[in-house]
Amino acid sequence: MAIQRLRTQFAPYLAEGLVTLALCMWGILILHYWHSGKMGLLIHPNYYGLTLAAGCFLLMLTCLQVLKFWRRRIQVRPQHLSLLSPAAMSGIMLSAALVGLLITPRPFTSQTAIQRGLQDKTMVTRANPQVFRATSKPESRTLLEWIRTLDVYPEPDAYAGQRVNVDGFVVYPEDLPDNYFTLTRFVISCCAADAYPIGLPVRLEQNRKTYAVDTWLAIQGEMITETLNGQRQLVIQAKTLKAIPEPDNPYYY
Amino acid sequence: MSQLGSGLTLFLSLMVEAMPFLIFGVLVSGILLLFVNEKQMIAMFPKNPLLGALSGSLFGFLFPVCECGNVPVARRLLIQGASAPVAIGFLLAAPTINPVVIWATWTAFPDQPAIVILRVVFSFAIATIVGWVFSWQPDLKPFLQPNIAALMPASIAAPSGETIEASNFLKPGNYILDPSSNPIALDAANLDAVIAIASPKRKSILDRLPLLLDNTVQELREMGGILVLGSLLATIIQIAVPRNIILAIGQGPVTSVFAMVSLGGIISICSTVDAFFALSFASTFTSGALLAFLVFGPMFDLKSMGLLLMVFKPRAVFYIFAIVFQLTLVFTLIINLWIS
Repeated sequence: MAIQRLRTQFAPYLAEGLVTLALCMWGILILHYWHSGKMGLLIHPNYYGLTLAAGCFLLMLTCLQVLKFWRRRIQVRPQHLSLLSPAAMSGIMLSAALVGLLITPRPFTSQTAIQRGLQDKTMVTRANPQVFRATSKPESRTLLEWIRTLDVYPEPDAYAGQRVNVDGFVVYPEDLPDNYFTLTRFVISCCAADAYPIGLPVRLEQNRKTYAVDTWLAIQGEMITETLNGQRQLVIQAKTLKAIPEPDNPYYY
Repeated sequence: MSQLGSGLTLFLSLMVEAMPFLIFGVLVSGILLLFVNEKQMIAMFPKNPLLGALSGSLFGFLFPVCECGNVPVARRLLIQGASAPVAIGFLLAAPTINPVVIWATWTAFPDQPAIVILRVVFSFAIATIVGWVFSWQPDLKPFLQPNIAALMPASIAAPSGETIEASNFLKPGNYILDPSSNPIALDAANLDAVIAIASPKRKSILDRLPLLLDNTVQELREMGGILVLGSLLATIIQIAVPRNIILAIGQGPVTSVFAMVSLGGIISICSTVDAFFALSFASTFTSGALLAFLVFGPMFDLKSMGLLLMVFKPRAVFYIFAIVFQLTLVFTLIINLWIS
């Protein structure tokens, strides 16, 4: 009986406490991503400010809730009656925030690049760039600029012999011979959910096993034209390959 | 293992990107709920059915609520004497035709303005058509649940505690407990009465701020929980279903639309953030299918069906579902088969 009374008395405090903790953890998580530089792995830099404001708002909300507890203003208790109990909903939010705090997000890997259609030649629904600015010097083009240049003028022979200086990570596509890999980067327009891979085949003098999958490389070389899988395409003939650390912000925009 | 890592990154990116929009939506609708006099607004709606449906559909611009908030507001509109086309136009359009949702959709699809524009155009057209269709039934009462119908012509001054108390089970919305622990629904129709119960004095704007805090926290919990579950589902589909199956469904002009309409009907993700959910399918599904998800989901899903059944009789809910479903299919299939 006494337990029953205690439970009724403290249930609202528990429910309110749990939701406050969940909101607080989300605030901390967002600030943590911003502070540790991991925000770039998740979202486009345009939205850093907005997300940061959301994190601060959640912490402010937490303070107001604590103030409410302090003043024992719990007699008004709005309740959403729905399919899942308020405690379950708070629990779900809290668990998601804790997973985020405990496990550091990793950049997408070669497996995701293949899963997301690096090999597909005819993607019907890929987002088209609205802005295109050609860089005059071939050796200062990034991987994305090469792909966009090719989109505009897809004749591979036009680029043969041009110098290349690009970086990205290694992917082994199944349909390329053993002395080729694809140098790949992900492009995002909003957040990691819409990341799509771009890449160019790289021809090596030796077997590709020297360069493990997902290794980040800076490659210098020259553009050549080759026929791979029955299609004539632009290939990087690598001269120097240098391992580089994975960048803090691995995406192109 | 790397699949799991990518899945986690995907899941967290959806959550982190969607969070500010969720907060913004909750905050704005909470402020309007507590501080705007709906009755004065209702008096301004045109009496003509088509114009009523049009203006009801645009009312969401002033009253941005997602699909969890629109049913209680539409219910209040009906109780306070708004006509059927106004209430139904609002009910179907408000979750999409409002600045927060349009901004979020633009954020998610900056490279595809057509998605943003067509989402607004289709939602607006469907909401207006359905509102207009319902105007042919001059007396909406046979379509409404008895407790709502009973409240319609009556004075709203009396607290509606008894009527609502009779069937409180599994009813969403804001509730507060009166001194004898009976739940009372908190909405603008009885807000003053409810506040009067809690305190003998009438509350000033400043005194309503704690209510805004309570409302914001509860809504964030409710929608945040659904957002977590929705993002989880999107992530699982991305990493667990083989790519060739997703592509086979997603690139078919007809199958993709049916798949995304079903998904939109099931996952019940808040319309403020559903664009981010759709984004994770952007590279594998046709534009028509993404639009079908973005148009149909906010108008009709499992969660809103539960809410609609509290206001309308099952027959009326079925009519709404059938008309919205067919119009969504027609519009999006036109896009897939003839335009894109």
